[in-house]
Amino acid sequence: MENNVSEALRILEEPIQYVCLAFMALMYAIKIYQLMKKPGPPEKAELKGDRYAGAVHSLANVLRPWGMESTRNHLYFYVEFVIFHIAVLLTIGSTFFIPLVPQLMTPTVTKVIMVFMGLAFLIGLRRIHRRLTVPEIRIISSPDDYFAISLMTVFFAVGFGALWLWLDKRPETALMWVFFLMTTFFLLYVPFSKISHYVLYPFGRVMFGQIFGGRGVLNRKRS
Amino acid sequence: MAEAIAENTAIKTPEEARENPDKLGMQKDRKWPLKTEFTPEMLAEMENLLPGKLNRIVQTSLAGCIHCGMCSDACHYTQSIPDDKRLLPAYKADRFRKWYKGRYDWLGKVFPSLVGARKLDKELADEMYDLLWGGCTMCRRCTFNCPMGVDYGMVVRAARGIMCQVGRIPKHLQDTIDTHYNYGNNMAVPQDEFIETIEWIQEELQEEEGCEDFTIPIDKKGAQYFLTLNPREPKYYPLTIQSTAKILNAAGVSFTVSSRYWDLTNYAMFNGIDADAKLFAQWIFEEVKRLECEYLLSGECGHGYRGLRWELPNWLGGVPFKITSVMELLAQIVQEGRVKLDKSVHDEKRFTYHDSCNIARSGGILEEPRIVIRACANNFEEMPHNREDSFCCGGGGGALAMPEFSERRIRAGKIKADEIKGTGANVVLQSCHNCTDQLKEICEHYHINAKVMNLAELMDPALVLTD
Repeated sequence: MENNVSEALRILEEPIQYVCLAFMALMYAIKIYQLMKKPGPPEKAELKGDRYAGAVHSLANVLRPWGMESTRNHLYFYVEFVIFHIAVLLTIGSTFFIPLVPQLMTPTVTKVIMVFMGLAFLIGLRRIHRRLTVPEIRIISSPDDYFAISLMTVFFAVGFGALWLWLDKRPETALMWVFFLMTTFFLLYVPFSKISHYVLYPFGRVMFGQIFGGRGVLNRKRS
Repeated sequence: MAEAIAENTAIKTPEEARENPDKLGMQKDRKWPLKTEFTPEMLAEMENLLPGKLNRIVQTSLAGCIHCGMCSDACHYTQSIPDDKRLLPAYKADRFRKWYKGRYDWLGKVFPSLVGARKLDKELADEMYDLLWGGCTMCRRCTFNCPMGVDYGMVVRAARGIMCQVGRIPKHLQDTIDTHYNYGNNMAVPQDEFIETIEWIQEELQEEEGCEDFTIPIDKKGAQYFLTLNPREPKYYPLTIQSTAKILNAAGVSFTVSSRYWDLTNYAMFNGIDADAKLFAQWIFEEVKRLECEYLLSGECGHGYRGLRWELPNWLGGVPFKITSVMELLAQIVQEGRVKLDKSVHDEKRFTYHDSCNIARSGGILEEPRIVIRACANNFEEMPHNREDSFCCGGGGGALAMPEFSERRIRAGKIKADEIKGTGANVVLQSCHNCTDQLKEICEHYHINAKVMNLAELMDPALVLTD
């Protein structure tokens, strides 16, 4: 596949994205710096387990739905989570592949990405519905929660449409423009939004794993 | 702190102390100034205190919640009181998080309503008071079920510390801490009364068959284990001390109790005031060093165990002795075959075990109680949620010292009561005095005909002392 697009779209797909990406990286660096300035959890007690193994175990928690009761009892929710986040990765990936390595976006690869985008769109709709209708979720939801999931859901729909037309050998379409404009917006907005939770994820999981791994709660053998 | 310890350097022998007891605790009594309402001045002071409470865990936990709601099933409050949606862990923590976001979240500073940020006002502070003192036991079950690893226990403790600092803390809870501060233990047991109680328990013990030579040494230098106690034991449950001492004697364990600082509880873990928590830990630390013991031995007490085993070394920057617990020592005694046990004495009973949150989930003692139970009883049934998955009984986090929230506390114990009932057990074993009191209350309230016992009380009757 070839990405024969106008100069204007090329500028949006490449230099503008890089500038925005650099901005995002800078924001994340500041966020991480601010967090690392704070005192971390000390551990002077004699350990009963392994803090390092605990941290690894905790980080890998995302791959073990049986590891937490909350995912064990809601496997459907977990499957949705996995599909949604794979779709996020693939969608972000496609914003790099299309301008940089369009030959990678073969019909097969494009269709796989579209399947995940389509499923993630449906999951997004379900999550919006859940947020609106489940009382305990509704009372904890802020406008940013609705905005973030709505934005992602629309992004998947737009991406799906743009790739549909890409399959038809139409790399420059209105949907592709919207897709990349949204990507630009994401790069600027995400560092300030809850969507940036993935930056905090390793910190939360590692600290959890260090504490409870060191205390012998994680990674243990039952008698 | 150093001053308080230095003033008591002329240590008396137990005999001298019985005749002329020391004033233990801080020499100058304190009464924490309590407030019944948040005032604008208090809110301003809370704003000043907030930055000091934001360590890496608290900050990550405040910033990291994605409002997924996965914590909804994890909390004993939400499980037991499903009609009150405000008891969802994320909602409770959000009372604090909204304030945090208004000050620290980039978007929250510019568009507060977009991210649910709020200025700290009386209404928000009142909600924090209600839900973070009276709606959370800091059991960390939600933390274990949070995909992001949000440490709700630490978040709630930080919020409590700020509220306490300005005087908004349930009175009875703070009274308990003040008593500890003023008298060296949280029930103001005077030194002479404590020594007499221990001597009386020793006499009672020696009257038991096969226990004639058993002792409860006080201030014995060089003993291997420094046994700490919950003040409820000398005050209301002396038989618990008797059972523990009997097992330790039977197993040939060298141990001692201090005539001075023996209280293992540390309610400052519940009010979030680190200086007090360190002070109480320091008293125990100094006594272990004075008596030159190899091990600091925590008695059967949930938060007390966690405070000594996992927090004390961090508060004091390390310790020159080892720290363990009666629960672990009993398991070791069983595994090493140091006592002979007859399980059949308990054949009429059916047991279940409640894992105290601070002992299991936050403490790492998960298998040891089961080693003891299996060695002492044939009829044991696990609750559906056990070990680190165990539900809090509702008595943790200082809840028993907050009578204004008693009704909610008892209601929150329903999930645990249902699980106990489901086992058909007529004895609920546990290793924590706060759990003991809560379990007794919920058993009575939910019409469960079950006795509540700790591990030493289980093991004591099973001991075979004569050939």
